[in-house]
Amino acid sequence: MSTDTAPLVVTGTSRRRDLLGRQGRIGAVLLTLIVGAAAYGYFVMPDDAGKRRVGLPYESPSAAHPLGTDDLGRDLLEQLLVGAGTSLTLAFMVAAVTTLLAAIIGGLAGIGPRWMSATIMRGIDVMLVLPELVLFILAATFLGQGFGIRAVILSLILWPVPARVLRAASLTAWSRAHVEASRAMGAGQGWLLFRHASYLLGPLLVPVFVRTAMRVIIYDATLSFLGLGDPTAPSWGTTLYWVQVNGVFLSDAWLWWAGPPGLAITLTVVALALVGTSIEDRLNPNLQESR
Amino acid sequence: MTLSVQDVTVRYGGRLAVDHVDLEIADGEVVGVVGESGCGKTSLARALVGLLPKNAEVSGRGVLRSEHHPELDLGALRDWRGVRGSRIGIVPQGAMSGLSPIHKVCAQLDEMLTIHGGSSNPTELLDRVGLSPRELGSYPHQLSGGQRQRVAIALTLAGDPDLLIADEPTTGLDAVVQGRVLQLISSLGISTLIVSHDMTGLLPYADRVAVMYAGRLAEVVPVDALRDVRHHPYTAGLLAATPSTDRTVTWASIPGAAPTLDAELEGCRFAPRCPLADDQCHEERPLLRLVGTSEVACHHSERSSEATYPAVPRATSDCGAPVLDMTGIEHTYRSRSRTTTALDGVDLHVGHGEILGLVGESGSGKSTLARIALGLIKPSSGTVRLGDDELTDARGRRLRALQRRTGFVHQDPYDSLHPAMKVEALIAEPLVIAKVARSERGAKVRSALAAAGLPQDVLTRTPGQLSGGQRQRVSIARALVNDPELLVADEASSMLDVSTRGGIATTLRKVATKRGLAVIFVTHDMGEAIQSCDRIVVLRHGRVVDAGACAQISTSPDHEYTAQLLAASHH
Repeated sequence: MSTDTAPLVVTGTSRRRDLLGRQGRIGAVLLTLIVGAAAYGYFVMPDDAGKRRVGLPYESPSAAHPLGTDDLGRDLLEQLLVGAGTSLTLAFMVAAVTTLLAAIIGGLAGIGPRWMSATIMRGIDVMLVLPELVLFILAATFLGQGFGIRAVILSLILWPVPARVLRAASLTAWSRAHVEASRAMGAGQGWLLFRHASYLLGPLLVPVFVRTAMRVIIYDATLSFLGLGDPTAPSWGTTLYWVQVNGVFLSDAWLWWAGPPGLAITLTVVALALVGTSIEDRLNPNLQESR
Repeated sequence: MTLSVQDVTVRYGGRLAVDHVDLEIADGEVVGVVGESGCGKTSLARALVGLLPKNAEVSGRGVLRSEHHPELDLGALRDWRGVRGSRIGIVPQGAMSGLSPIHKVCAQLDEMLTIHGGSSNPTELLDRVGLSPRELGSYPHQLSGGQRQRVAIALTLAGDPDLLIADEPTTGLDAVVQGRVLQLISSLGISTLIVSHDMTGLLPYADRVAVMYAGRLAEVVPVDALRDVRHHPYTAGLLAATPSTDRTVTWASIPGAAPTLDAELEGCRFAPRCPLADDQCHEERPLLRLVGTSEVACHHSERSSEATYPAVPRATSDCGAPVLDMTGIEHTYRSRSRTTTALDGVDLHVGHGEILGLVGESGSGKSTLARIALGLIKPSSGTVRLGDDELTDARGRRLRALQRRTGFVHQDPYDSLHPAMKVEALIAEPLVIAKVARSERGAKVRSALAAAGLPQDVLTRTPGQLSGGQRQRVSIARALVNDPELLVADEASSMLDVSTRGGIATTLRKVATKRGLAVIFVTHDMGEAIQSCDRIVVLRHGRVVDAGACAQISTSPDHEYTAQLLAASHH
C-alpha cells in the first residue's frame, strides 16, 4: 500500500498553533473581565459586602446604589460582585476535581486490566442513566447546602461523561504505533504514559475542565434559585431566588434586580463555551479532520 | 483524440506540484499515470475533474473531444455540472467508502441514471462490469471488496462518459482481485486515465504509460515498447525496484529520495539520484523528445541501458544457532459473541544471521505471530523461547527485560516515531528504558545510525522533517541500538515507495550478516520475501501452509496457495 498524500510536514513555527482563534479570544476577554470583577468583590470589598443593609428597601438605581437595593436594603451591585466570587470559585474547584477524577478513572478504564475496565464502564453507564440535575437537587436537599457539600456532590455527579471521553482517548493513544513500539522495547506503563501518551491526552483535559465549569455554574444557580442553596450567602442564584420569593417580576424592579445576575450567568457560560469549544476544535484530533 | 492535456501546471501556495504536463489520450486508449508518492500524479488527475483543494492554482488547457458533444476546454470550465459524471466518469479510490452504505445497489444505480439522464438500466450496467442481476438487491456490506469496486465502476458508467479517471482504483484489494479489477477497466473500451503507484501491476492492462517524477513527465511510453532498452533511467529504476518472484532477476533500489515540492532544482529533477547524471543534467532541463516510439525527457536516453542501480544482497553464509523458537502457537481473539482463531498450531524458528520471511495476506495471522514473538501478545497456548529463556510465562519486570533483547520495526513510519522527539532521543529511547549509562549512549546511537544507513546530521531533526524511507531507517536504528538478538520487521517497507523498498531490505541484510542478528521479515509481497529472505514461511488462516528456502518456494511451491500468491505477484 502506498500513501499518496504527502507526509504532514510539521515545522517548528506551525507547531505553535493559535489555540483560541477569534471566537475563543472573545470568550477569554469576557472571562477575564468576569474573573476580575469576582476578584474585586472578594479581595477589595468588605467582608460583609452583599449582606449588610446599606439603604432603604426596594430602592431604584441611583448614584449610591447603581443597581438599587433589595427588600432588606442590601446593595444589589455588591451582591452581584460577591456572588461572582462564590459562583466562579465553586465552578473552578469542581472542574479541577472532576477533571482529575475523570482522568484517573478514564485512564484506568482505558489501560487497566479487562475486568477493571468492564466494572468502571458499567458503573459509568449507571451514572449516566441517572438524571444529573435531579440527583444534585435530591442530594443537596438531604445532605445540606454548605459550599463544601455542594462542591463534593457536583464533583461526584459530573465525572462520568468526561471519564468516558478520556477512556476513549487513552485507548486511541495506546493503539498508536509509537506507543506499541515503545512497549516492544520493554517500557513500563509509567514511561508510556508520560513519554508517549501525555501529549495526546493532556490537551483533552482543557476542554473537559472548561465544559465542567460551565455546567457547574448552571447547576449551582439552578439549585440556589430553587431555594436549596444557602440563602444567606450572596450568589447569583440566591439573588434570583429572592427575586422569585418577593414577586419582583410583577414590578419594573426586575430590570435591575433579576437582570444583572441572569446576564452574568449567561455571559459566564457563553464565555466558557466560547473558550471550551474553540480549544476543543483545535486539540481534538477527530474534530480537526472535519474542520 | 478524446483528451488532450496541454501545459497543465498545479501549484499549492506557490509550490509546484505538476510542472507543465502535456498528455494525450486517444479514443478507447488506456493510459496509466505512474510514479511514487508526491510525484504529482493525483494532482494531475484531480485537476482534470476540478476536484483540487481550494489552495491549488491550476493553469493550462484540457480539451475533451467526442462525437456526440461539442469540444470542451476543461481549463476554462467554471460549472462542472453536466461534465463530471456524464462526460468524465470518476472511479473512486476506496471501494469501501465510495458507495452509500444505506442504499441497495439498485437504488444507487438508479440515482446515477436519473442524475445524468443515462439511457441504460441497472441490470445492463451490472452486466457490463461482470456482476449478476442478483446483486441489485444487495447492500454494499454484503459484497466483497472486488464486487464493491465493480459496482463503483458501474456507477461511473451510468452517465455514459467519454473518459474515465481512476485514481488508484485497486487500493485495499488483495493482489489477485487487483488484477481482475484493472482487467475490467481496460476492457470497457472507454478512454481511461488510471493513476497508480504500482507500475508493474498496471502494465498488462494499459496501452501507454506516463511516468511522472517530481511533477514532470519523465517518459510517455507504449507498453509494448517498454521492454525496449532505450528509455528514461527512472523508468528502468522503477522496473528494477519491483521485486520479482524469480530469484534470477536481481532486485535493486534507487538511492536517495524524491525531492519535496519546495525543492528548487535546476536541470533534470532526477539527476541527484540518477547513475548517468553529468553536468549537463544538473544544469539543463531535458524536454520530452521522441526516442523510437516513446517520448523521453532525458539527455542520455541512448545510454539508459548502462544505468545500474545497487542490488539487494543475498545471504553469504549459513545461519547459526537458533535464536527464537516458537512451538505450537495458538491464539484466539475473544469478543462478546464470537471467537476468532488467529493462529492454529504454528511452529517457527529463526537462527543467528538468518532472515525469515513470514508471508500471508491480510487476516492470515502474521502480525499476531510477530507480536507474540515480541511478547506484546500472550498466546492462548504454545511456547516461545528467546535464546535460553521462556518468553510466554514471563510477566512484568522479567518480560520487559526479555523484550529489551528484541527490536521492533513497525509497519507505519508516519506513526511509529513520536512526532515531537528528535531523532537522537528516538534512537536512544531503548537505552534509556534499559537504563544504559549515559556515557555509553552516544557511541551506541551513532553506531546504530550508521548501521541503518543514515547520515549523522539527521540526529537533530524531528520525524516531520524526514522522508518515509528515512523514518523507517530511524525505526531500524532504534531497534538496533541496544544490540538485540532478534529483529522483527512487521511489513517494514509496505508503506514506502517502490524505489526505497530495496534499500530497506539491503539494510536488513547487512545488519543480519554483520551483527549476526536473527530477523523476522513480515510481508504480504511474495516477490519481496523471495528476493530478500533466506527462508519463507507462508501463513494462511493461522496455519503454516508452506515453508522452505526461498529458491525452493519460488520454483517449486508445495502448496497450491503458495502458487496462487506467486502467480498474483508475478509481473
